[in-house]
Amino acid sequence: MADIVARIGFLINPIAGMGGSVGLKGTDGLADAAAARGAKPLASERAKACLQRLAKEAGHLFFFTASKSMGEDALRDCGLDFSVVHDASSPSGSEDTILACRAFLENGIDLLLFCGGDGTARDVASVAGQIPILGIPAGVKMHSGVFAISPEAAAELALGFIRGELLTRETEIVDVDEDLYRCGELQTRLYAAAKTPYKPVLVQERKRIYSSADEEEFKNQIALFASEFMRDGSAYVLGAGTTTARIAELLGMEKTLLGVDVIKDGKLLAKDAAELDLLELIANERSVKIILSPIGAQGFILGRGSQQISAEVLRRVGTENLIIISTPHKLAELPYLLADCGDKGLDRALSGRKRVVTGYRVAQLKEIKAATNI
Amino acid sequence: MKIKYLLDEEEIPKKWYNVAADMPTPLDPPLHPGTLKPLSPQDMEMIFPKALIRQEMSTERWIDIPEEVRDIYRLWRPTPLYRAAALEKALKTPAKIYYKYEGVSPAGSHKPNTAVPQAYYNMKEGIERLATETGAGQWGSALSLATTLFGLKCTVYMVRSSYDSKPYRKSAMRVWGAECIPSPSDRTNYGRKVLAEMPNTPGSLGIAISEAVEDAASHDDTNYALGSVLNHVLLHQSIEGLELKKQFDLADDYPDVMFGCCGGGSNFPGMVFPFIPDKLKDKKDLRMVACEPSACPSLTKGLYAYDFGDTAGMAPVIKMFTLGHDFIPPGIHAGGLRYHGDAPLLCNLVHDGLIEATALQQNEVFEAATLFARNEGIIPAPEAAHAIKPAIDEALRCKKTGETKTIFISLTGHGHFDLAAYDAYNDGKLVDYEYPADLVKQSLANLPQA
Repeated sequence: MADIVARIGFLINPIAGMGGSVGLKGTDGLADAAAARGAKPLASERAKACLQRLAKEAGHLFFFTASKSMGEDALRDCGLDFSVVHDASSPSGSEDTILACRAFLENGIDLLLFCGGDGTARDVASVAGQIPILGIPAGVKMHSGVFAISPEAAAELALGFIRGELLTRETEIVDVDEDLYRCGELQTRLYAAAKTPYKPVLVQERKRIYSSADEEEFKNQIALFASEFMRDGSAYVLGAGTTTARIAELLGMEKTLLGVDVIKDGKLLAKDAAELDLLELIANERSVKIILSPIGAQGFILGRGSQQISAEVLRRVGTENLIIISTPHKLAELPYLLADCGDKGLDRALSGRKRVVTGYRVAQLKEIKAATNI
Repeated sequence: MKIKYLLDEEEIPKKWYNVAADMPTPLDPPLHPGTLKPLSPQDMEMIFPKALIRQEMSTERWIDIPEEVRDIYRLWRPTPLYRAAALEKALKTPAKIYYKYEGVSPAGSHKPNTAVPQAYYNMKEGIERLATETGAGQWGSALSLATTLFGLKCTVYMVRSSYDSKPYRKSAMRVWGAECIPSPSDRTNYGRKVLAEMPNTPGSLGIAISEAVEDAASHDDTNYALGSVLNHVLLHQSIEGLELKKQFDLADDYPDVMFGCCGGGSNFPGMVFPFIPDKLKDKKDLRMVACEPSACPSLTKGLYAYDFGDTAGMAPVIKMFTLGHDFIPPGIHAGGLRYHGDAPLLCNLVHDGLIEATALQQNEVFEAATLFARNEGIIPAPEAAHAIKPAIDEALRCKKTGETKTIFISLTGHGHFDLAAYDAYNDGKLVDYEYPADLVKQSLANLPQA
């Protein structure tokens, strides 16, 4: 890293993770309750574990951060160069995360490194735009694809990215509804897409032509294949996510990232369709098929968060008309995929070793489990 | 119980068997990729010696094996036929299982059976160097061995990702005096073009073939050599099946079903073609089953049609079961079975119903290979293991029915260079692929017409 001085935005959500240790399943709005139950702030220590690794390249890194426990203290403790560009309120909150990120962007950064959970990721992603973001895991919920597996891994990813050794991929920012989660229900919702650096877990494949370890290239391959088989006169319901979005993009349409669109013979039939729209469509169309991809770090292909593709919609379309797509990278990171359409019988029907399209004319077999059985 | 059935060196066949003489349906001719007219011998002379072109076009049933070639075959031929007694016992099957092991060749596989005569005929016609491609490295090793034995030079274009991930294949080629170059390379116009467009590409077999062909076509002293698909390759490989027939005579037995792995077609046709006359003339009730990976199931899910032999569309257009020359099979560990089509001679016989095909998943193949290794000792190459799995299934069926069938496995080579693949299996990291035939069919049917 001879002459590089990378500019990194850095912030800590100081209360992240506090709820988990005292059984609160998330800390959003409950920091005081967590503290009252004896929870200790953990995020700062997790962040420092990452920063200490980064300190070995101290001369090549410059940080922009928020005041005190939101970043300043940890950076100082680790001997890193920084400038405080946001004065955090006390106690700090979601608004501080957003304001700090805006200030980072105004200073021109290469990477936005944050320490927190899904709630923090949502706030960061809402501002980051095209700047890659990377999460140091510290939260109770970490379903988004921007988190490294450990603080140390986050440091390695950050350094690899700065050295130009790693690629970025577009991944989903998801969060669960904490109130329902506390009642024992897991509802994953997709909130945004963000760029993040990643290290491919795949072994180098032999003999592949024009192969690439680049996950985005695989999304393009899947989209190309889909754009070819989607010209059979059926109406195709495209679920949420960045992989399905790429299909619409290839067909010259802008996909509703967080919602459901319908395409037939290369033309947009419905945008951001609701369940009722889909049921009406199914009644009127000769043939309807659904294309879904796993969302978030747990691999839900059907979460109750995607309310539009309901159990009723699935039943009427028929599970045989469900086409699952995913990059091989994502599949390699997941032990199995999860189905949770709100109907236990249907979830069971969907489970087993199923075909997942992973490239141009290429598919893998992957285990799908009914979320209720996990 | 007798375990090994061995032939004496003098029993190495003196002639190869050419199945083209016995085909119920004549072979459709290969076409020129530019004109789509039948290929003439002159079209091939730029990269092949005349003797091999004559063999490629021949319908003579028997073709003499030159004495110089037989002399080299003596280094490892005849290969042993084993009775898999320990495996039978482990399976508690009344069936009899045999396997013929080609891993005893210096290169560790059946590939030298054709590499040696190809090097010989080129040497006889004054060629000084052979250029070829290799993916996983078995063919490159075999041709390096054969060329050094006849005093020829050899240039092997090895797919870059394999070059980096399988260093010991490259080491073996160096020992045998060949030059092994990662492809794409800066040696050829095509390689330079690919590198300019994609400096970090891991390469592909298609690119490597194009480089080797260009090298051969642009140097007077250099020819090209291919290790599968072509008629003369299958002719040379018939030495396996001819030996096998004598060995079954020794064992006083005859197969009911034969299993062999199949990529582009070299070992499997070589082993089973000499049995085709038995089936046609003597009406023997013999099943011959080509075993291919589910990731690249050309015989089981491909279309029987004319298609390009290579990715770039520069090789001859041949009638075969194909997944399309633009299909890039996923990176399974049986790298030698990743070809979009199959040998025309084999496809013709599959189409006529004389030969069957089956497709297998990686994990079940490695599971069977492990069971085999733990009983028979030999660690099979991942390619070869594709024949073991259905043979075990057949033996287990016999256990249920009480049948004493004779089951044959063609064991093409050892897996000593493939232990990383066994590690991946044991670590639970092998992916099972399934070719999405219905979606592909749907996409082909509805493509916009030009």
